[in-house]
Amino acid sequence: MKYIYDGSFEGYLTAIYEAYYRRETPERILPDTNLQESLFEENIRIETNSSKASRVANSINEKISPTSLENVYYTFLSELDESDVWIFQYIKLGFKVGKNIDSYLSDDRVLKIMKINRKVTREIHRMLGLIRFRQLEGNIFYAPIEPDFNIITLIAPHFQKRFADQNWVIHDIKRNLAVLFDCINMVLAPLTPDFAIELSKKETDYQHLWIQYFKSIAIKNRINPKLQKQFMPHRYWKYLIEK
Amino acid sequence: MDLQKKLEILSGAAKYDASCSSSGSSRKNVNGGLGNNQSSGICHSWSDDGRCISLLKILLTNICTYNCVYCVNRATNDIPRASFTPEEIVDLTINFYRRNYIEGLFLSSAIIRNPDYTMELMLKTVRKLRIEHKFNGYIHLKAIPGTDSALIAEAGQYVDRMSVNIELPSNDSLKLLAPQKKKESIIKPMGFINSKILESNEVGRFYKKPKKLFVPGGQSTQLIVGATPDHDFNILKLTQGLYRRFQLKRVYYSAYVPVLSHPNLPAVARPPLQREHRLYQADWLLRFYGFKAEELLDDNHVNFSSDIDPKSDWAIRNIHLFPIEINTADYELLIRVPGIGVLSARRIINARKMCSLGYEHLKKIGVVLKRARHFITCRGKYYGEIGMNELLIRNFLTDKPVNLQEQNSDWQQLSIFSHIADSNILENNSLLLS
Repeated sequence: MKYIYDGSFEGYLTAIYEAYYRRETPERILPDTNLQESLFEENIRIETNSSKASRVANSINEKISPTSLENVYYTFLSELDESDVWIFQYIKLGFKVGKNIDSYLSDDRVLKIMKINRKVTREIHRMLGLIRFRQLEGNIFYAPIEPDFNIITLIAPHFQKRFADQNWVIHDIKRNLAVLFDCINMVLAPLTPDFAIELSKKETDYQHLWIQYFKSIAIKNRINPKLQKQFMPHRYWKYLIEK
Repeated sequence: MDLQKKLEILSGAAKYDASCSSSGSSRKNVNGGLGNNQSSGICHSWSDDGRCISLLKILLTNICTYNCVYCVNRATNDIPRASFTPEEIVDLTINFYRRNYIEGLFLSSAIIRNPDYTMELMLKTVRKLRIEHKFNGYIHLKAIPGTDSALIAEAGQYVDRMSVNIELPSNDSLKLLAPQKKKESIIKPMGFINSKILESNEVGRFYKKPKKLFVPGGQSTQLIVGATPDHDFNILKLTQGLYRRFQLKRVYYSAYVPVLSHPNLPAVARPPLQREHRLYQADWLLRFYGFKAEELLDDNHVNFSSDIDPKSDWAIRNIHLFPIEINTADYELLIRVPGIGVLSARRIINARKMCSLGYEHLKKIGVVLKRARHFITCRGKYYGEIGMNELLIRNFLTDKPVNLQEQNSDWQQLSIFSHIADSNILENNSLLLS
C-alpha cells in the first residue's frame, strides 16, 4: 500500500497523521509528481489538511523535540529517494523513545536521518558562500542556483538579514522556485527561467575585478586543483563568476 | 593607473598572508545598513591553490620604507608599486559584498612614510565603511607595529579582528632577516590589544548597558615556516605561549615561498607544505585536544616526522596508556586516540548512554578505525590484529612505509601475515586475548 500526497511538507505530515489514525503502515509515502501508477498496487490519495499537519508537527515538537522536527523537515527537503520511509520510521521510533532519540546513534533509523541531515546542512552552509548575485537594470540583485536539495527557504533568511537594504531574488532554476525580497517583504513564488535578464551597466566591471582578484590571490607555487575541487565541487561552478 | 591593475598588484602582494578567516564575530545588522556577520565564518570561494577566499585581502599600498629580506615588498625590490585611496577600497568592498563574493575586508599595508601615517590611512578606510556606509560585514585589520596605541585603540572599535604578524619565530631570525623590526615592537601592540579586549569583556560583564565591541573576533598572527633554521619545537612552544599569554584566536603558519634570493635566505625549491601541514595538525591538538607542546615534541625530538601525524606519533610513544575502553573512557582520553576527533568523541559519549558500543557502531559514528583500532577496546575486545607493538603499529600508520625500508635495509615490507612468524608478537597477542 502506498500513500500519495501533493508534495508539500504539510501533505506529508497529513499522511503521517492518517497512517497513525488508520493504524496502517504504508510502504511508501510519495508525492504525486513524477508518479508511476501501477495497476496492481493499491494507492491511497491523501488530501492535505493543515490542521492535521500541524497536530503532527506539534506532537513531534512536544513529545520528541524541536530538533527532531527540524531533522524531519531537513530530511524531507533533501528529496532523496526513500527519505519518506526513513522519516516515517524515525518519527515512529521518536514517539516510542521520546526526547533523547538523537542519542540512539547505534540505531540505523536514527543514524540515517543524521547522515542526511548533515548533507543538507553542509549544502546550506556551502550555498551561503557560493551564491553569486548579479546586479540587474532596475537595481535588483539576481542569483540563480541549482542546489542538490530543496534548501531555498532555509538560506533565504540569511540574505534577508545581510542584504536588508537591497532588492534581491534567489532563483532555484532546477525547481522553478524563487524567493523575492524588496527590503520589506520576503516571498516564495514559483518562477520559470523563461525571461531575459539585463545586467546593470557597472555589473561587468565588478565581475572583471572579481575575476582579477580570484586570479591574483592564488600562490603559483602551491597550485592544487584537487584541493580546490574538494572544497568547491564542480557541480556548483555553473553560476560562479570566477570559474 | 586603473583599478583593475591596482587590484592585481595589491592583492597579489597580500596573498602570502595566510589568514582569511571570517569567524568569531557576530556583528548584527541593527542599523538597517548592509551586512550581518555569521559567527561561524563563511568561505565564498577557493582559489586555484585550494585556499579559501572569505575576505577581500588587499594591501592599502605596497610602497614600503622597510627592507625586510624575506618580503616581496622590501624597498629595494624592483616591482610595480601602487596605492589604493580609501574611497576605492570602500567601493570595492561594498560592491563585492553586495554580490556575495566576500564576507568582508582584510586590510593590510606596507609602511608608507611611517607607521602612524599608514595606520591613519587604514583607520580612515574602516571608519568610512562603518559610519558612512553602515557596513556590518567582517573587517580584519593589520595593526602596524610601532603605531601609536591611540590609533590602535580607535581602530579596535570598528574592526572584528586585528592581527600583528610575528613572521620570524625567534629573535635571531629577526636580526638576520628583518633588522629594522624589533621583537618588542611586535609584542607590544599584541599585549595592548589583548588588554583592551579583556577590558571590554569586563565592562560587558558588570554593567547592563550594551557593551562596546572591541575586536570581537580576537587577534591572530602568522609565522613563516622554513625561511629560518628554527625547528618545530621552537615554533610550537612560541605558539603555545601566544595562546596562553595573549589569548590569540589563531596562529597561522605560512610555508616559506621563495620570492627573492638573498645570501641570508635559504635556497628552497618548493615551499615546505608538509611541514606547514604538520604544524597545523599540532596547533589543533593544542587548541582543541588538550595537548601541550612538550608532550608532542621534546629536546631530543625537535621536528615532526613527515610520515606520521603528531597525534599518532604521540600515541605510539605513549603506548603504555592504551588500549582504552570506548564504553567507559573519559572525553579527555577519548579525544587523545588517533582516529577519534572532537565530533566523534562527542557522538560516542552520547550514544553509549543508550547502549554499549561495539566495533561496528564506531565505524557508523565516524571513527577512523584504520588508526583507532590499535588503541581501543570495544566491550573489552581488542581489534588491532597486530598487538600492542610500537614498531608494528608505527609501520601500519605511516603514510609511506617504504621510507622505513630505505633507511634501514634490514627491514622487509610487512604483509598482514608476516608478523605471525614472530613469536614475540604472538605472545603479546595471546596476552591481550586471554
